[in-house]
Amino acid sequence: MLTIDKLSYQSKLRYMNAGEKCAFAILTLLVCVISRSIVIAGLVLCLNTFLIVCKSGVSMRRYLHFMEIPIVFLILSTLAIIVNFSRTPLDAFAVQIGSIYITGSWYSLRFGIQLILTALASVSCLYFLSFTTPMTDILQVLKRIHCPELIIELMLLIYRFIFILLDTAHAIMTSQNARLGNCDFKTSCKSFGQMGSTLFLRAFKRSNALYDSMEARCYDGSICVLNENYPPKTMEICLIIVCEVVLAGIVVGLHFFL
Amino acid sequence: MTKKQKKAVVLTAVLSLCLGIVPSVSAMHIMEGYLPVKFCVIWGVICVPFLLAGFFKLRKTIQENRKAITLIAMAGAFVFVLSSLKIPSVTGSCSHMTGTGLGAILFGPAAVSVLGIIVLIFQAILLAHGGLTTLGANTFSMAIAGPFVSFGIYKLCEKLKVNRKVGIFLAACLGDLFTYCVTSIQLAMAYPSESGGAAASAVKFLGVFAPTQIPLAVIEGILTVVIVIGLESFAKPELKMIGFVKEAK
Repeated sequence: MLTIDKLSYQSKLRYMNAGEKCAFAILTLLVCVISRSIVIAGLVLCLNTFLIVCKSGVSMRRYLHFMEIPIVFLILSTLAIIVNFSRTPLDAFAVQIGSIYITGSWYSLRFGIQLILTALASVSCLYFLSFTTPMTDILQVLKRIHCPELIIELMLLIYRFIFILLDTAHAIMTSQNARLGNCDFKTSCKSFGQMGSTLFLRAFKRSNALYDSMEARCYDGSICVLNENYPPKTMEICLIIVCEVVLAGIVVGLHFFL
Repeated sequence: MTKKQKKAVVLTAVLSLCLGIVPSVSAMHIMEGYLPVKFCVIWGVICVPFLLAGFFKLRKTIQENRKAITLIAMAGAFVFVLSSLKIPSVTGSCSHMTGTGLGAILFGPAAVSVLGIIVLIFQAILLAHGGLTTLGANTFSMAIAGPFVSFGIYKLCEKLKVNRKVGIFLAACLGDLFTYCVTSIQLAMAYPSESGGAAASAVKFLGVFAPTQIPLAVIEGILTVVIVIGLESFAKPELKMIGFVKEAK
């Protein structure tokens, strides 16, 4: 149902230490966002594509498909940055409409390309994390960095509930489809509403049942689960450090020599 | 205008709105890496007081009634699932609702602020909507600004004795529109236009996203009303338990 979740469990890097993966993804993301340079973005994009496709075993087609998800936002908002309405034409292009020009400058064009590359590279960092690390492992990392207990517990419960509710919702929607519940716009709105309210009701009942069963198993305010432990490997840590130092070095180099 | 003419005008207006829809429209999450670091930090810091208030409120609720924890978690999962499902649309494009308006009406804005950030993390990691660096900005627009406006309008309509359905519609729809305005302003502040500064930039962002976001807000309003009607007709006892229909006894 949630493709990314499935991918993260099938990933070849699944049994790597979760802390390492988080550290790598977040450090690279930070380098990418802070430097905002085309070179770094290109490098990070290549590196993450290599890691995701070759090391983690996600097919190229699927990876590209996921890269398309934010494309609408990317195109629309970059368009809004590049295109200007002004009384004086700028240097890159200008289309005159009445007394106003639809115009843009070389600077903003270059800026737009840089922005698109940075954003795509950052998304690839996020994908590296979400394609290789199941949510439960991420929660353990959050616990390690002392995120409030209540939040982690809520996240754990919400994560479990998502699948139950998605399952219920899909079952309802399938049966609605089978009964022509989406034959026109009005009917489909009605169907969606009915699905939503039924879903809420089922969720409510489930949550009561769950609480009762937790209570029956001596729930006293904290949910304890056994953690699988994959100790970090020195080799991997060294690789991550080398990688980040090289990236940071390139940033500094570019800053001073260009 | 005769009735027929009015119908024609409305129909063409709706059609022209819908033609602007591009495939796969989700609620307006700012994507990963799109904001400069400075703005990521600023928006994150702005969110902190709201989140703390929400967190303390939730903790108090749970300390008073421990059973609330599964219910609150269910509410979070409910909002997430609603936002991950395709909603009906006229053109057959694939769009998603935010669900935070409904959440704010049902559970109150304070709870939604904390649930919202959790849902946004899940959306970023499991659905690739939004991102980790832009989490602060997205939390402010979707989990704080939108729900607070929704809740305010809902309560205001209740006070003014506006028709209940209209009130809920307005709350969900305007909450969504407000989210979209806040997001546009956030983008504009980060990327002011070369000619005209941040204000001109805000107008551009508003204009560019209007064709996707305005129909979405209207549909979200309609769906929220339909869901609440459904809930009120066969989930009254449950709604009473979460304190939604206290006054309707």
